[in-house]
Amino acid sequence: MAIATSTGIERSSVIISVFSTTPGIGKTIIAINLAAGLAKEGYRVCLADLDLQFGDVLNYLKLTSVNTVAGAQRALLDHPDKFHVRDFLISYSHEDVTFAILPAPLYIYDAYQTDVDLVTKIIGDLSYFDYVVIDLNSMFSALNLAMLDISTVINYVGVIDFLPALKNYKIGYDTLIRFDYAESKIRLVENRADSQKLIEGRDVERLLGEPFYHRLPNDYPSVNKSINSGQPLMFAAPDSRLTKSFAELAARYTNRAQEEPDAEIPMESGGFFNGIKKFFGF
Amino acid sequence: MAYKTVVVEDDPQMLDEIVSVLRRSTDFEVSSTYKRVNNALGQAGMFHPNLFFIDIENEEMLNAIPAFVDIFPGAFLLGMMEQWDPLIARRAMEGGATGCIIKPFTAKDVGEYLQIYTVRGQHKPARLISFFSPKGRAGRTTLAAILALLIAEKTGERVALIDADLQFGDLPIFFDVEPKRTVVDATQDIKLLTPVSFAPYFYKIKENVFLLSSPERPEYAELVAPEALVEVVMMAENIFRYVIVDLPAGFNPMSLNVCRISDTVFITTMINSGFEVNHAKKTMEMFDSQADGRRRVHTVFTRVNPFTEEQRQKIADQLGYPVDVMIPNEYRMISMANSGRLASGLPMDTLLMKTISDMADKVIAAGR
Repeated sequence: MAIATSTGIERSSVIISVFSTTPGIGKTIIAINLAAGLAKEGYRVCLADLDLQFGDVLNYLKLTSVNTVAGAQRALLDHPDKFHVRDFLISYSHEDVTFAILPAPLYIYDAYQTDVDLVTKIIGDLSYFDYVVIDLNSMFSALNLAMLDISTVINYVGVIDFLPALKNYKIGYDTLIRFDYAESKIRLVENRADSQKLIEGRDVERLLGEPFYHRLPNDYPSVNKSINSGQPLMFAAPDSRLTKSFAELAARYTNRAQEEPDAEIPMESGGFFNGIKKFFGF
Repeated sequence: MAYKTVVVEDDPQMLDEIVSVLRRSTDFEVSSTYKRVNNALGQAGMFHPNLFFIDIENEEMLNAIPAFVDIFPGAFLLGMMEQWDPLIARRAMEGGATGCIIKPFTAKDVGEYLQIYTVRGQHKPARLISFFSPKGRAGRTTLAAILALLIAEKTGERVALIDADLQFGDLPIFFDVEPKRTVVDATQDIKLLTPVSFAPYFYKIKENVFLLSSPERPEYAELVAPEALVEVVMMAENIFRYVIVDLPAGFNPMSLNVCRISDTVFITTMINSGFEVNHAKKTMEMFDSQADGRRRVHTVFTRVNPFTEEQRQKIADQLGYPVDVMIPNEYRMISMANSGRLASGLPMDTLLMKTISDMADKVIAAGR
């Protein structure tokens, strides 16, 4: 299923994956606020939590759900003819902002049973949304590579406060390039950009040979407020600089014709995944 | 002084070969040879031997190792195998053997094996300690590194750190080293290795602390089969008295397989948003469902603040399990790891170091 445009030509949704090579640096916060920002602009958005074992999307939004990607996978296997992905989504809604969520499995056992091809099909079925935002974990796993392959853009997040984190950011970027992901598809996003640290953003850009696409300022208290209230930053901390920065990031991803002529051109997805999937992860 | 040597081997041809090798060297004096284990146990005492070669591919002889230890305390007991078998090697060590050796061997080989097994530490099975974290960024690597340094310092025994976080291992950067050989090389070569030829794969960090590094590129991780990693870890047990493994985050074939053979697993979680305790709970439930009665799983929480018993109880209530180790925050440690100075001296006067030192004491005590 895809969107019928006014000219009658079907088009698929924009898939934005949120990826990093260091855990615990704010991927889930970014994914949630990106989804909320896009929804606020009036787009139909689905946020898929594919940090399968320890996903935090529901935690951070204070939601519970029996619908999960594990249930979707089971249904797709058992009754492929009757399968519809919308039966496995839940909805986040507050004031004028609504978006759908495909939650991560509730149990590690289910997460472990996840099949890359089936999840790829499930994500593909979300194409009736304008935007699909995917929250990944911090590894080059078979699943993550499959998701990066089908993504329109890769929102590649780094926090440059710790030498190992910088090393992993650089290695991850080099690896993405070696895996033949187009440079224009990889968007370098620095999180906690203005926190006190030993390493300068400029030096990182020199190291990577690529400027940051977007820098999110550090605002720990607001993020805390957001997690504790279960609301995206636009509601939990409307006046925060971080909230503003997220609005700008969402705008950059929607206002495509103006700011990013590249993004309209269909990207070639990396082809590395197929060759190595039997080796990486499960 | 030549070793007064006894060979216990049921294959006459192999026995001849071994004896002729030993006789050609001045380092060995062959006191007696036996084809049957009960003869060896009953009669060898006449010669006051201090070195035994025992064919441990023979089940009866393998089972007799504790009896040899009992009757000949202080003698070196080398279990002989034609093919390295990690499970047989482990059983020999558990029985009290000094170590194992691939046969046939030269006199020089024997010297090298004995050298490795002597510096290893007590002739006891290795302690295999794994650091697991649900999501990562838990302080797991820092903790593993400091624990290795402290155990080596406290015991004078050899400690291995194996960086099994194959895609994004941080141990080389913590110690500011760039070892030539990595865990990937070790897993590829393992079928051809012996403890003697494997030992140089480890990079010396400090007195008695050695690192088997992670590879420099994440895609090299694809070259590692979980079974091969298990064999690498098990062979390390023969060279090191303590083997500490830093695992990749989450449940995956690597972390599950290494945890399966570990005697101690530390589930490491950093307190941040609070939901980490839920992740630790899910993790503990997974380990509970696979409990084998032998392995001990401990919960470790880092950056606990406030660092109080009330807080411990609070976490334990949410977790549904006891909090075994609490580690306070210490910003100085981050900057030390950041600059690769971890091996050059630890700030022992801090609460952080005191808690990890207690942890090391408990690990050491559990192995005695």
